[in-house]
Amino acid sequence: MSRTIESPTAVPQTATARRKQAFDWVGAVRAVAAWVVTLLIIFPILFLAMTAFKTELQAIEVPTHWFFTPTLDNFREVQERSDYLLYAKNSLITSIGSTLLGLAIAAPAAYSMAFFRSKRTRDILMWMLSTKMMPAVGALVPVYALAQRSGLLDTTTGLIIIFTLSNLPIMVWMLYSYFKDIPNEILEAARMDGAGVWGEFRYVLLPLGMGGLASTGLLCLVLAWNEAFWALNLTAANAGTLAALIASYSSPEGLFWAKLSAASLLAIAPIVVFGWFSQKQLVQGMTFGAVK
Amino acid sequence: MAFLQLRNVEKFFGSNRAIKGVDLTIEKGEFIVFVGPSGCGKSTLLRLIAGLETIDSGSLYLDGRDITDLPSSKRDLAMVFQSYALYPHMSVADNMSFALRLAKADPKVIEEKVQHAAKILNLVPYLSRTPRELSGGQRQRVAIGRAIVRSPKVFLFDEPLSNLDAALRGQTRVEIAKLHRDLGATTIYVTHDQVEAMTLADRVVVLRDGLIEQVGTPLELYDKPANQFVAQFIGTPQMNVVPIADLPQLQAAVKGVPSGGFVGLRPENISVKPAGVGQVQGTVELVEALGAETLIYVNAGTKTPLVARQSTRPSVRVGEPVGIEIDAAAAHLFDAQGRVARAAAAAAH
Repeated sequence: MSRTIESPTAVPQTATARRKQAFDWVGAVRAVAAWVVTLLIIFPILFLAMTAFKTELQAIEVPTHWFFTPTLDNFREVQERSDYLLYAKNSLITSIGSTLLGLAIAAPAAYSMAFFRSKRTRDILMWMLSTKMMPAVGALVPVYALAQRSGLLDTTTGLIIIFTLSNLPIMVWMLYSYFKDIPNEILEAARMDGAGVWGEFRYVLLPLGMGGLASTGLLCLVLAWNEAFWALNLTAANAGTLAALIASYSSPEGLFWAKLSAASLLAIAPIVVFGWFSQKQLVQGMTFGAVK
Repeated sequence: MAFLQLRNVEKFFGSNRAIKGVDLTIEKGEFIVFVGPSGCGKSTLLRLIAGLETIDSGSLYLDGRDITDLPSSKRDLAMVFQSYALYPHMSVADNMSFALRLAKADPKVIEEKVQHAAKILNLVPYLSRTPRELSGGQRQRVAIGRAIVRSPKVFLFDEPLSNLDAALRGQTRVEIAKLHRDLGATTIYVTHDQVEAMTLADRVVVLRDGLIEQVGTPLELYDKPANQFVAQFIGTPQMNVVPIADLPQLQAAVKGVPSGGFVGLRPENISVKPAGVGQVQGTVELVEALGAETLIYVNAGTKTPLVARQSTRPSVRVGEPVGIEIDAAAAHLFDAQGRVARAAAAAAH
């Protein structure tokens, strides 16, 4: 190394200057550590993105080639072999549909729990949360049977219902914690001002709870988009979402890493872009209204 | 005819009987103050009238109409909350006009009424601000403005001054009194501060444990309290109430004290004299010189010292032996249960 190393004893420094320099080192270490952690987290995604632009042969080469001529062949093949747009449309319909339906049910529920508390409110909330403690597969057989009997198997309607139901506990909890922070007296003031239940909801609760509704909605949109278990088990050719599309590339014909990566990239790209733009609301939502 | 009438109103919270059968009649234009210690049910009673709590039994009439089961939104009452409860997402003007906009009033009328209220309350320069950008006193005025704009049948105030500092509280109290004089609106005002009650009210309702102890004009309550509780609640410093057993020497001066009863003496009816003079002897325990008046606490062998109020500067020192002269005609007599046995013969001040 040609760089000269400055020893603290060699260069006379005042105590404050030394302390200042030490502080900078801490900052630098922190920055490096943050980058390392970030790279570790994002590495699989980067690797996936890289593989998607390789040929199948390059994809399975060990050691991996970091520099290669990118190709779009995989994407072309994915669109040809399986109808990407159909899957994307299904993902869009089911995630938006289940989010809207979920909000429509969760908002009134959270409203009544936050503002008309009873002795049992806490228990009901805990019970709702407890339904998330069971693995989804535990309910697979009855849910499948119900879907089959009611003709909802492999339909977007069926998926919307099941996505809504599985996200509902989280939505109620999130909205409840948001609404709880709104002083009851403001709603009472609206009541005194002549607002009925709808007026109170429309003119006071909705504008005041907009932040909470937005972050709850965003989180559920992401959860529904990424949902794989029910999407795989309850759909076939008609209502499959992008999660099902990805899975179809690890099918009996063997693993095609490059195409699988291309399909995955296509599946996650919209929600990653969406998440990037709405990260502020998402972070707010995940801290459950603690940060205002 | 009675404007607002409560008939045997009761309220339970679980098994706790918070309001125990209240009967009250309020006339149009009256300024009524509910006063009492914390937990006496005064706020609950106001919320029952407002419709924010349901009445469990009894009935409530407003202007000849039974409104017992009517929702708040249809009662035509306006309320000023302790926390002001302004709509944080609306401007001052929108806050004040909210009720009228809900009622789909003519925009021109709304504008006029908001401007009028803003002028009365000195809020004109702030109409486009949000509540966050206002001081506590200004928020308070917006809350009052929101009530005025609607011209409701009755104004309800729930401890509206308790979040203000002492100086502003006094000033706002005067403004509320003036406002009531100008608007002549029927008002029910809840406070735990008996000075607010005395200065604002046409009639004061003293509550304890969910029951009305006494209803009367401020001076009626002061001069003729119905019982020991009211006697001690109204007036600062509070009335000296002494078991007659502790001061048997008073028997001679104040005749007719029931056995086991109490003698009540307002501080201004006790005067401090040189030792040896007066019916009771004691030593000075504390002297509070307030400028215009002086409070002298005298230990006369009773559980709590006797407080005397005099308008002259203090001439005694702590520890000094003094005599106490009692205006026997102004003494209130209570029986062993604290019920009034004999009101003061003369309101001698």
